[in-house]
Amino acid sequence: MVVLPSPLYCVLSLIAAFLGLAGLYLSLGAEFLAVVQVVVYAGAIMVLFLFVVMLLDLRRDEHILLRLPAQKFFGAMAGMGIFSLLLKVIYSGSVLTGAKGNYSAERVSEIGNTQILGKILFTDYLFPFQAMGVLLFVGVIGAVVLARRRAG
Amino acid sequence: MAPLEHYLVVSALLFTIGVVGVVVRRNAIVVVMSIEIMLNAGNLAFVTFARFLNSMDGQLIVFFVMGVAAAEAAVGLAILILIYRNRESTDVDDLNLLKL
Repeated sequence: MVVLPSPLYCVLSLIAAFLGLAGLYLSLGAEFLAVVQVVVYAGAIMVLFLFVVMLLDLRRDEHILLRLPAQKFFGAMAGMGIFSLLLKVIYSGSVLTGAKGNYSAERVSEIGNTQILGKILFTDYLFPFQAMGVLLFVGVIGAVVLARRRAG
Repeated sequence: MAPLEHYLVVSALLFTIGVVGVVVRRNAIVVVMSIEIMLNAGNLAFVTFARFLNSMDGQLIVFFVMGVAAAEAAVGLAILILIYRNRESTDVDDLNLLKL
């Protein structure tokens, strides 16, 4: 996605990546999140990106990419550095140190992933849930106010 | 199901792609998309750890992150449209009003 010159192809490959992530969530037993990933991310958010890419005239991106010649090199170096650092942490052997919860895979598949999520969301996490609703509301109003054309 | 490390490597790879995208690309829309990739890398790590620790909290946090990402994308893209209207470009190198 990062190396494609056209933003449109970036959006399309990003949709493919999000669908793949939904598959990974399914394999991890998070069915609800997989569906939300497809509907919210690959659906709503990426359609928003697609609209903006098509709304703006962005065909001149090709030469913009190479304005700083050293940028590609240093970007690749920084990427490799971060990736090797993360790999080192992952394979250090002491990643999984947290306390085990009481929702084992058998129990989750017995009750149902979505049912458990809903029960926790509307009891323990009620305030964050409501706060997220307010945040989305403010975000919608902000987006409309920002993108509106000035009258006259 | 694959072992824990494989999921984490995919997550690290996604995060790295996002970082490189933010650093290398000059188109502001692509930069915002790279930020979305990094958020998703974090989400994948959350779900992975939730699954391997028999916990549900990771999945709930991913749910909240998705909501925040949706709000962020909406406002961010509105700001991008505003910038494009004022400057006729979304190149981050053109956004130098704060430069001395």
